[in-house]
Amino acid sequence: MALPSHIAAPPTASPAARAPVYALVGNPNCGKSTLFNALTGLKQKVGNYPGVTVEKKVGTTYSQHGQPITVIDLPGTYSLAARSPDEAVTRDVLLGRRSDTAQPDRVLCIVDAANLERNLYLVHQILDLGRPVIVVLNMMDLAVQAGLNIRVARLEKELGIPVIACEAVNGKGLVELRLAMSRPDLPLARHAWGVPAPIAPAVSEIAASLVENDLKLPLIARAEALLLLTDQDSVRVSGSVPLSARTTEILQSWQKRWAAEGTDWAGILVNSRYEAIGNLATEVVLRAGTVGPTASDKIDAVVTHPVWGWLVLGVVMTLLFVSIFTLAQAPMDWIGTHTALLADWVKGHMPAGDLRDLITDGAIGGVGSIVTFLPQIMILFFFIGLLESTGYMARAAFIMDRLMSRVGLNGKSFIPLLSSYACAIPGIMATRTIEDAKDRLVTILVAPLMSCSARLPVYLLMIAALLPNDRVSLVAKVGIMLLMYTLGTAGAFGFAWLFKRTLLKGAPPLMIMELPPYRLPGVRDVLLQMLERAGIFLRRAGTVILGISIVLWFLAAYPKAPAGATPTQQLAQSFAGRAGHALEPVIKPLGFDWQIGIGLISSFAAREVFVSTMGVVFNAESSEENTAPLRDALKAARWPDGRVLFTPLVCLSLMIFYVFAMQCMSTIAVVRRETNSWRWPLFQTLYMTGTAWILTFIVYQTGRALGF
Amino acid sequence: MPPTREPFRPQRLRLTELPNGAAGRVCELVGQVEVCQRLREMGVGESIIIERISGQGTLLCQVSNTRLALSEGAAQHIVVELIRSARP
Repeated sequence: MALPSHIAAPPTASPAARAPVYALVGNPNCGKSTLFNALTGLKQKVGNYPGVTVEKKVGTTYSQHGQPITVIDLPGTYSLAARSPDEAVTRDVLLGRRSDTAQPDRVLCIVDAANLERNLYLVHQILDLGRPVIVVLNMMDLAVQAGLNIRVARLEKELGIPVIACEAVNGKGLVELRLAMSRPDLPLARHAWGVPAPIAPAVSEIAASLVENDLKLPLIARAEALLLLTDQDSVRVSGSVPLSARTTEILQSWQKRWAAEGTDWAGILVNSRYEAIGNLATEVVLRAGTVGPTASDKIDAVVTHPVWGWLVLGVVMTLLFVSIFTLAQAPMDWIGTHTALLADWVKGHMPAGDLRDLITDGAIGGVGSIVTFLPQIMILFFFIGLLESTGYMARAAFIMDRLMSRVGLNGKSFIPLLSSYACAIPGIMATRTIEDAKDRLVTILVAPLMSCSARLPVYLLMIAALLPNDRVSLVAKVGIMLLMYTLGTAGAFGFAWLFKRTLLKGAPPLMIMELPPYRLPGVRDVLLQMLERAGIFLRRAGTVILGISIVLWFLAAYPKAPAGATPTQQLAQSFAGRAGHALEPVIKPLGFDWQIGIGLISSFAAREVFVSTMGVVFNAESSEENTAPLRDALKAARWPDGRVLFTPLVCLSLMIFYVFAMQCMSTIAVVRRETNSWRWPLFQTLYMTGTAWILTFIVYQTGRALGF
Repeated sequence: MPPTREPFRPQRLRLTELPNGAAGRVCELVGQVEVCQRLREMGVGESIIIERISGQGTLLCQVSNTRLALSEGAAQHIVVELIRSARP
């Protein structure tokens, strides 16, 4: 059998020729990540585009002759007319607008074969760019199942560029793809698409101005001109070169003219592209009659059902949380034990002194406290990846959309909020898929109100102190715990509602979301994604926590108490102790004394630090798992006038304070990164901690008035 | 003179008014330009057949091989003419 012409062509490039850089683009859910992983394996680098919180994924694959080929995986998009920062990055990289990323030499367009027409829309826009393009027809198996027969050779002939049929999940077609990518010469597409008459003069004028005033190449200029006309809200991201004043002026004058004439220029452009695609599709796609309901349809009948859907969602969420809290226990204990062992080992190998304490108590202790949460975060990401890869996550967002829309958010905010139950950091990072900037900001602002796992040790200690009798039923303990989770969730929804009506007033949320067909999960992709996220978490949180831990260690260790002082005395007269004293007038109305104040200050690094600080303050050896000794120490704590410090009311007040207060440096750092300003993290800290103070005040004072 | 027959005019309605299980042909996209454009780009353009599968408020729809979730606000932008009533 003869190989297709583009594969059989002999390589003629000189060895010195630079290997081409490929950009990988495609619609969401078309199997882009799977193909990227299949091509590059573990040879991937994940970073960020400077100034924007969009991940930059670059990988290396090899040509048929073993030459490295760079592949940039661009965020998935339906169109080059961007609607979110992710899509804006795709657009800007392809158009060569970014100063940090050179315009890729060639483009790999991955297309879902079962949804050919819609996927070809993006291909159609990309062909305008005048770069060599390879079209990868992925998910050919699903197309066959849907009763479609795609004539690949015909499509290749019509477009005049290589078209590779592929099933990235099982590795089918990868050899052919690699061969095509290795070609030194790739033909340019036969892309004779006439711009519709009413807007053709505008496209020419804008393109000419782009060449003259923005120094664009003529071919790119036409593509940009076409894009500018459909770039409705023109998402601008930092790092992208802005448009010249003259071109903007020409664009606006045309838009004004059309608006006066009642010409829907964007609609005309999109429809005209679809018309061209429709003509192509009639040549290429043969429909083998109608097929009955697919397996996906049958599953959807249950999973998106108004009653059964909620039940399924409930079961999935319960499974998720049970696994996070049970499966993570053993590795968390292991990390806890080993950080302690490491600290002991350092203690055994270094002379006693401040430097040793800094390393063991400050650095190892502080970083260890955040690394402990890594297993939970990895399990969370594994499950989220699994749910996304099977196609269920989109259904969950669909079911939640109606509920979320009541508070002014859309279904897409559900995943970030859900993730925040484990940790707000991955939750906030997951908001990137939300298109509307205001919706995204509101989600970021309320996500830390969802009770994260760092609050658990505090809740557990306070419940133990509140209900000290071991015979108290488990139901009461679980009940209080659930109450705290409910309070946090209600707070998040309440504030979202408030922000959407006041501070971040916007149009009612709109959701247009594709529900991909159900598939067996790609475990390899899920694991890769999990590792990648874990790495990001460690790098981001680790660096901040390390810095803060050292500062907090310093505050607790200096100034030094006279020799022979106990750790409790040392802490009492340290900067942290003095700060606790200084804080007392503010927190006394909440029922807290200066010793609790030290805990509040130190747990600003991470909430669970409260427990270990209380251990030091009340001089009780205790661990997060076994709170009994600390519980007894807390019971014995008294105000100077002899009143019991940790009354049940104070324990409850403390829990409520922790539900609402923004006690997490890492979250503040991540919010700063994601919003690109200090304004929002500061506002968030103020509103959360302010609410915490007010609510705790109300609860404590009401409790007191009622005689508790 | 023979009576003139009224030409057949299919009923035009918003996608939100289309009953679950019914199918319509998109005649027009109205409302916010950005939303109309995104809908067109995702394959919900004029003359496309859209089937409303289920949902109240947020709708589950089928457009050729694509299943779409459309919130009420987004579905309001789509004007269809009924081409098939809900299956019994």
